[in-house]
Amino acid sequence: MKKLFIKISNSKAWKSIFRTKLPIKTNLDRSLFIFNSLTMHIHPAKVREIAIKFRYTFYLGMISFFLFVILVVTGVLLMLYYQPAIPNAYENMKDLQYVVTNGMFLRNLHRWSAHLMVISVFLHMIRVFYSGAYKPPREFNWVVGVVLLILTLLLSYTGYLLPYDQLSYWAVTVGANLIQYVPLIGLKIKYLLLGGNTIAEYTLVRFYVLHCVIIPLAMVFLIAFHFWRIRKDGGLH
Amino acid sequence: MNSKEDNSKDKKGINRRKFLSLIGNSATGLVAVGAIGVTLDYLSPNVIKEKPAKFKVGPIQNIMNDTVIYEPEYSVFVIRDENGAFYAISSICTHLGCNVKWVGSQEITESEVAINCPCHGSKFNKKGSVIEGPAPKGLVRFRVKLSNDKILVDTSEIVSEEEMYLKV
Repeated sequence: MKKLFIKISNSKAWKSIFRTKLPIKTNLDRSLFIFNSLTMHIHPAKVREIAIKFRYTFYLGMISFFLFVILVVTGVLLMLYYQPAIPNAYENMKDLQYVVTNGMFLRNLHRWSAHLMVISVFLHMIRVFYSGAYKPPREFNWVVGVVLLILTLLLSYTGYLLPYDQLSYWAVTVGANLIQYVPLIGLKIKYLLLGGNTIAEYTLVRFYVLHCVIIPLAMVFLIAFHFWRIRKDGGLH
Repeated sequence: MNSKEDNSKDKKGINRRKFLSLIGNSATGLVAVGAIGVTLDYLSPNVIKEKPAKFKVGPIQNIMNDTVIYEPEYSVFVIRDENGAFYAISSICTHLGCNVKWVGSQEITESEVAINCPCHGSKFNKKGSVIEGPAPKGLVRFRVKLSNDKILVDTSEIVSEEEMYLKV
């Protein structure tokens, strides 16, 4: 079995995909494994022992990221049964709960992960603040983190309209009327966001696209940048 | 070739390299600004399926004094008061846009609460004036006109409390 594995790992195809030579024996091999991997590259090759202690960071950033991954996966699955149109949206949401196999489970997983993500991102921010991790040279990563918090809240807000029930409708009405109070361009922003003067078909599609494409895409890039900056700013001490 | 260019750099004015990069950057900038403008225009819909601004209620001889007619499609209360005069007020709260509810009985005075907002608890009297916050101002009053024997409400024309009445 081991021989077979060594044979595969020495084959031409394997070597063309993975640059690192197996088996990993030395520290150099271990660091090369990090350097040569796209997904591992945002991590440092070496971390201090204290940095991976639970009571130091409470793993809040990682928990937030993990919840984001759950949200992407469950969200994509929910998209398969959802049409952002009136009256389909509400019916689809009810179908997901009572007709689709495991639909209720996925919808609740998405919902609870969303709530938990807001909480964990907020707690992560508090942890960073109280441990002084926003101080130079990490001040820009704090700014990126604040943008990520705002995007998290915007994801919550845009997702809230999608079931298109009474709760959604009035929450978004209140939110859109808050935006109206922005000086000078408030009314214009509201018109662009709602695609009209009141919540209607266009609003639902706009919130759907923001919720499923634009904001998650922006978040993926910012999360990658956020992780990479941790390394570039000197890691955890 | 290189030495020639280096020499020309020291000279004042513009050389070929600077000229071409200026043209190139300006064209790129122009296209970028244009693209942003076009996109912003695109985002703003030209045709929206919203209700027309005017609607009719009536005929007036069927509406008794001290009556409130709620038009949910237009979010408007059409009221005939105790003197037989008509007026129309919006049911959209001036605080954050929730739909307010008529809760008062017919024979209440102006100082009593006639309208409640379910979202944040604003209270209004039957003329639409604020009795209790957080609403910053009274409900919007619309122009009412007589059209044959019906009441025509024009939600595009907002009037003050004094000129909102239509006496028939």
